Amino acid sequence: MKIKKVLNKHETMLFLTIWIVSGVIGTFNPAFLSLATVFEILRGSVPYALMGLGILPVLLLGEVDISFVGIAAVSSLVAHTLLRRWGYVGGLGGYVGLAMPIGVVLGVIVSLISGFFKLPVFAVSLGFWLMLYGFNLFFISPEMRFDLPAGLVGFYSNFLFKIRDPVVGETGLHVGVFYVLLCASLIWTLLRYTIYGRGFYITGGNKEVAFRTGYNIISLLCIAMAINGALAAFAGVLQCAYKRFFDPILFRGTELFVIAADVIGGVSITGGRGSVVGVLLGVIFIQVVTRGLIYLGVAPTWQQFTVGVLLTTFFVITGLRGQIRREFIRKLTLCVKRQGKNEES
Amino acid sequence: MDDVSLEISQGEILGLVGENGSGKSTLIKILSGIYVPDRGHIWIDTKCYKFLTPSQAIKEGISVIYQDFALCPNLTVAENIAIAQWMFSGKRLINWRNLYHAAAKSLSRLTDHIPLDVEVGTLSTADKQIVAIARALLENARLIVMDEPTTALTEKEIVTLFSLLRKLRDQGITIIFVSHKLQEVKQLCDRIVVLRDGRKMFDGSAQEIDLPTLQVYMTGRVIETTAAMPREVSTLQPPLLRVVGLSLPPYFYNISFELKPGEVLGITGLLGSGRRELALALVGILRPISGAIYIEGKQAKIQHIWDAWKNGIAYIPEDRITEGLHLPCSITANVILPILAGGFQRRTFFKYSQYKNVGEEWRSKLNIKAPTAETPVKNLSGGNQQRVVLAKGLATKPKIFVMNCPTMGIDVGSKADIHKMIRLLSANGLGIVLISDDVPELLQTCDRIIILKNGKIASEISPQLTTEEKLYAILLQENKNTQQL
Repeated sequence: MKIKKVLNKHETMLFLTIWIVSGVIGTFNPAFLSLATVFEILRGSVPYALMGLGILPVLLLGEVDISFVGIAAVSSLVAHTLLRRWGYVGGLGGYVGLAMPIGVVLGVIVSLISGFFKLPVFAVSLGFWLMLYGFNLFFISPEMRFDLPAGLVGFYSNFLFKIRDPVVGETGLHVGVFYVLLCASLIWTLLRYTIYGRGFYITGGNKEVAFRTGYNIISLLCIAMAINGALAAFAGVLQCAYKRFFDPILFRGTELFVIAADVIGGVSITGGRGSVVGVLLGVIFIQVVTRGLIYLGVAPTWQQFTVGVLLTTFFVITGLRGQIRREFIRKLTLCVKRQGKNEES
Repeated sequence: MDDVSLEISQGEILGLVGENGSGKSTLIKILSGIYVPDRGHIWIDTKCYKFLTPSQAIKEGISVIYQDFALCPNLTVAENIAIAQWMFSGKRLINWRNLYHAAAKSLSRLTDHIPLDVEVGTLSTADKQIVAIARALLENARLIVMDEPTTALTEKEIVTLFSLLRKLRDQGITIIFVSHKLQEVKQLCDRIVVLRDGRKMFDGSAQEIDLPTLQVYMTGRVIETTAAMPREVSTLQPPLLRVVGLSLPPYFYNISFELKPGEVLGITGLLGSGRRELALALVGILRPISGAIYIEGKQAKIQHIWDAWKNGIAYIPEDRITEGLHLPCSITANVILPILAGGFQRRTFFKYSQYKNVGEEWRSKLNIKAPTAETPVKNLSGGNQQRVVLAKGLATKPKIFVMNCPTMGIDVGSKADIHKMIRLLSANGLGIVLISDDVPELLQTCDRIIILKNGKIASEISPQLTTEEKLYAILLQENKNTQQL
């Protein structure tokens, strides 16, 4: 009974899928199966995982937001411009301390507009997506900014511990992974162990119930968008520090990847379903697929097409999963039973 | 509502009946604190309120269970039961073990077959209802108001619900049972209050009043409930519809029957007996695996609902809100839709104004109560909406009518009108297949009744030779057999 329940979980299935996909890639190119790749994938996942976690409460409410990439770009670039003007030379702390409040404010503005005018967040965020990138290009800087402060130089190799790899050279577990785990555990606690956090699930399942229970739906949306904005800003700063330049059109075009990762992780686009673990696995799945294609030698021109095909296949399979899963579990339990009988006899 | 006084004592089941628009829902909403009354007082124990706010109502232990149960389909049973109570008691954090414990304690007062850790969305309607009651109990409800609780339940589930409600009454919980199914109200309740047009028409013990009198109080007119006149359906006439060996596992197997012109054939069975699927197969929504359908002697291939229309079969779906009507559209638009979409009139372009007289015609023909045929269907009452669905079918000039529970959730007056209409249609030579779980309805309107059991025809009876009690007995007795199997 318990095995059945764990197997029935979307997260378990996704976890197994990631292992199978990695195994397949590894058989074609054994270089893929190394600790260095794991660290690479984890480091590459950091900004997407942060944004994916941020959008989770919004998606749980049954809303879709795409403006978070714009929020990431504006908050990171504005923070950088201001800090450079003030002569800041420190590290990540100052950047995060300035960018995150900006992200929160922008997120709350989006949620207030949608809450008070009773608009879907998606509609408002379409406008904000364009507006924020336009703001960056027109008011702040149309060019990439390479003038990193001393404290941020070398952030890309800020490892918690290092290993030597025959192919890649020196690599290790990036400190960003630790930040992701910290944020993930905070959001997990909020969503699972606080009455307020359960409000996201209740609202996503049945708005009427949330209202009658006494949740303020606009306040829930505000908090969700504040979390979304804050984590997007954090992701923006980390990505810029890692790539060694601040970009006015940072993350432009990756918003759908983030949402896709969440949906792969089992988050329902109509609200009420989704978990922190699922989001993290979804992000890792996309990273494994995109990186795996490089290892398989798929031409860069074909990569987007292939990823698209893979994603569609994944969604079709999960759509069919009711049948397939039931069949799979039936066979598995049969096997277990048979084994049990054999042992008895 | 106008000058209604009500008194409820502890541990009583009060039946509140009335037609649509009689003020039942207004009364419920005043009790739950959603509406504020203009005049009058609400006395609870010794406290007097001019009006209640929603939170006051909950504090006083008044809990309303609406028809949709207000549950979250994506959360577990335990969370649905307990979360609101945790919220009201001002807790901020969740201790899952305590939450499951509290939910289990509340649910065990009612039943022990519902697991706590499954999602509510996977439960049956009856189980969802029990979860909703368990939630009310956890909120220390002393007065539970149930709004039309039996509409979506099967005969057997209703029996279970009633014994449950009696158990709660014996535990000292007061219940207001709102319904327009008079038979159920009389069966269950200790006292009955009848509302009509916002006034109290009757208030008294359920034992002292009989159903016909209750009906008069409720509708203000005498409703003929005479059984169908035994009519001569000529056996020499060729059958209008002949179904031979229709099978669609796992729903129904080897179904054969004939329908003569001017005949009303009732098909009944418990939920899951295949009656619904059989209806869908007759009109091409489901495709049977084997068997044939003959219409006027010729084999008809019905692969799609359009084929059904073209072969002169009209269908009245089970749920008029989601399957039968386009709610925001006008009566005219709804009525002409099958004519246009079904290919009865092929036009590339069409002008809506040309069809306005069609809508008006049907409105007056079927006596639909609406100012004009341009009224949006959502503004009509349930009975009138059902008339629009009937008009939709009739507009295609069918030879055969397949009706799937046509009077579900309709007040008594409209129900009688629809029964009259069915008899009238059959007198004009239409063949009607009436799928229903309403035993009195079947006995009143049908010429023959087929009973399905586990997807097979179990027996065929004539309404003249049976009574309500006997038919109920047949249905429930079969049910026992099923359980044994």
